Amino acid sequence: MNCQQFQEVLPYTIESGGSAEEEEHLRTCPACAALVEDLRYIATQAKLLLPMHDPSPRVWTGIEQALRHQGLTQEGRLSLMGQTAVLPAQIRSWTPVGWVMAGAALMAFSALLIMYRPQLPQASSSAQNMSAQPAPLPADDQQLLRGVSQRAPDVSGAYEDSLREVNVYINDAEQAVAKDPQDAAAREQLLEAYQQKEMLYQMATARSLP
Amino acid sequence: MKPYAFVAGVGVISVLALGTVQAVAADTRKELRLDIAPGGTVNVVSSSGSVTVHGGAGHQVVAIYTTHSSKVEVDQSATPDKGRVELRTHALGDQPLTGDEAKVEYEITVPAGASVTVSTATAPITVEGLTGDVMLESDKGQIVVRNVARAHVHVRGVAAPVSLADIVNGHVEVTSSGGAVQMVNVSGSKVSVGTASGNITYRGDCSGGGSYAFTTHSGAIDVTLPETASVDLTARSVNGAVQNDFPLEAKAHPSFVPKSGSSFAGTSNSGLSSVELQSFSGRIRVKKQ
Amino acid sequence: MTQAKKIIASGLTEAEAIERAKGGDAESFEALYGLHKRRVYSLCLRMTSNTAEAEDLTQEAFLQLYRKIGTFRGESAFSTWLHRLAVNVVLMHLRKKGLPEISLDEALEPQHEDGPRKDIGARDNVLAGSIDRVNLERAIESLPPGYRIIFVLHDIEGYEHNEIAEMMGCSIGNSKSQLHKARMKLRDLLKLSRAEKAARR
Repeated sequence: MNCQQFQEVLPYTIESGGSAEEEEHLRTCPACAALVEDLRYIATQAKLLLPMHDPSPRVWTGIEQALRHQGLTQEGRLSLMGQTAVLPAQIRSWTPVGWVMAGAALMAFSALLIMYRPQLPQASSSAQNMSAQPAPLPADDQQLLRGVSQRAPDVSGAYEDSLREVNVYINDAEQAVAKDPQDAAAREQLLEAYQQKEMLYQMATARSLP
Repeated sequence: MKPYAFVAGVGVISVLALGTVQAVAADTRKELRLDIAPGGTVNVVSSSGSVTVHGGAGHQVVAIYTTHSSKVEVDQSATPDKGRVELRTHALGDQPLTGDEAKVEYEITVPAGASVTVSTATAPITVEGLTGDVMLESDKGQIVVRNVARAHVHVRGVAAPVSLADIVNGHVEVTSSGGAVQMVNVSGSKVSVGTASGNITYRGDCSGGGSYAFTTHSGAIDVTLPETASVDLTARSVNGAVQNDFPLEAKAHPSFVPKSGSSFAGTSNSGLSSVELQSFSGRIRVKKQ
Repeated sequence: MTQAKKIIASGLTEAEAIERAKGGDAESFEALYGLHKRRVYSLCLRMTSNTAEAEDLTQEAFLQLYRKIGTFRGESAFSTWLHRLAVNVVLMHLRKKGLPEISLDEALEPQHEDGPRKDIGARDNVLAGSIDRVNLERAIESLPPGYRIIFVLHDIEGYEHNEIAEMMGCSIGNSKSQLHKARMKLRDLLKLSRAEKAARR
C-alpha cells in the first residue's frame, strides 16, 4: 500500500481503525503517521473547546418581547439581566405540594425572604415590641396559616406566634449580616433563622394536608 | 310531688348512667403485633392523645392503642419487605375532628435496633430505651426522649417543650421554634439545638470531643458544666447579657474579640469538645456544677 | 450533576424548572435560559462565525424551546434535546439562505490535496502539543461553512456521523469525507499560523 492509497481510505478508517495493510503502512510511513497524529490531535483539542461565549443581553430582551407580543407571557415579570427572582405569588396558587416544595428549598427561602424584606416587621428584636402592635404577616405566611386553621385549628395559634417570632429573627439576622458580611456567626444565625422558617412551613404543610 | 321528684331523680341518674356507658363503649382498646425486619423503621402519625415508645425484647412491634370516638380509626401498613411499618390515626369522613374526638393513646414496644419516627399535632411523645434512630416532631405536644445510645436523635417542634435525658454517644439535632429545650446528660459527636424563642437548658459535661452548638433568637441559654468538663467554649449575644461563672483559660487565638457582658471565649481542661452558644437578644449564662 | 444544575438562580432544580416551564411559568423558562444560553450561543456562533446571526439564532432557538417544551418527555437529557433543537434551527437558517456551501454532495473547494501528503521528515513538524485554543477557534472560524458545520457538529459537539447525515440530509460517507477535509484544512491553517509566528521571531 502506498501513501495515496492509504490517504484515500483514511477518512473512513481514522476513527474505527484500518485493515492490517493500512496499519502496516502507518507503522512504516513517517509522513502518514505524522498526518494521522495531527488529525487526531486536532479532533482531541476540539473536544476540549468549552462553550465560551455568552450572548448579549439583547437576546433575552428579544425573547421576552417576542413572547409578550405573541401573548405567551404577561407584563410585570421580574427579570434582571437574565437572573431570575421568584415571586411566590406568581409561582402557583395554593397547593400543598407547592408549599412542600417551597419549604424544602433553603435557597428558595433566601430569595423569598429578600423579596419580602420590606414587609417583615420592622420592630427590633425585643419581644415587647412584637406584643405591643403585631405587624401583619406576609401574604405567604397568612396563606399558610389559613391552611393550618382549616385542618388543625388547635395548633394554628402556635404557628402564628412562631411565624411572627421567626420573621423577626430573620430580620435581625439579615441586618447583622448586612452590617458585617464577614461575620461568620451572623451568617450562621441567618441560616439558622431560615431553617426555622423552613421547618415551620414543612410542618404546617403536613398539618394542612387531609 | 315526692313520687314525681323520685321518678325525675331516677330518670336523671339513668340518663347519666347511660351516658357513661356510652362513653365507655366508645373507648376501644386494641393490640397489634406486627412483623418488622431487623433494623426496620416504625412510623407513627397521630394528632392528639399520646404516643409512648419503649425498646423491648423480641422481634415484633407490639402496639396497644385506645381510641375514644367512632370517628377515628388506626390504619396499619407495612412495606413488603417489612422494612417499614406504619401506624396512622385516620379520621373517618371529611370533617376535621376536635382534639377529643381524634384522641388516640399509643403504647408501642419495638425490638432492639428499630428506628422510630413519630409525628403529632398535640399528642405528647415519649421515647425511651431505644438503640435505633429517633425522629420526632410535634406542633405542641411535649417531646421526651430518654436513655438512647449511639443513635441519631432528631427533634422538631413548633411550640413543643422538648426534654432529652441520658442520650450518650449520640448525634442530636433539635429545631424548636417556641418550645423550651432541656437537656440532661446529653453527649455525642454532635449536639445541635436551635430555637427562635424557646429557652435552652443544658446540664452535663459536653463530653466526647464533639461539637455542641446552641443557637437562639430571643430565648435564654443556661449551661451548667462540671469542673472536669473539657471544652472550648464561646458565647455571644448581640443584645442579651452574657455571663460566665465557669473557670476558663483565655484562648491564644480567638476567632473574635471577646467583649465583657456580650461575649466570651476560653478553654477548660484541654478543650476537647467545641461548645458554641449564640443568641440575638436572649441572655446566656454558663455555670459550674 | 454540576452545581449549576442543582440550584438555578431561582433555587429550583433543572427538572422542576422544566416542569414549571411546561406549565407556562415564565420565571422557570428564564431560569432555563440562564442555564443553557452559553452552550446554545456558542454552538450558533461556531456554526455561523457571525455574532449577529448567532444571536438571532439563539433567540429563535429559545423561542422554539418555549413553544415545544411541552413535548419534552425526558427520554434524553434536556440539554441534549435542546442542543438538537438549536442545531436544527441553525441548519434551517442556513438552508433558507440558500448557501450552496451546505450541500455536502459536492466538493466545496478545489482539492488542493489531490496527491498524497509526503512531508519527508514530517515528524519534526507535528502539531501535537503546539495548538492553543485561541488559534484553534480562529482557524475554525475561517473554515468554509460546509467544513465548519461538520467539524463543529462532530468534533466539538460530539454528534455521530449517522446523526449528522440525518440532520444534513447526506450519506454517512459524505459526512466522514467532509470531516476529513475540514480537519485537513485546519491542519494547514494551524501549521501556517505556527510558521508565521516562528518567522516573526
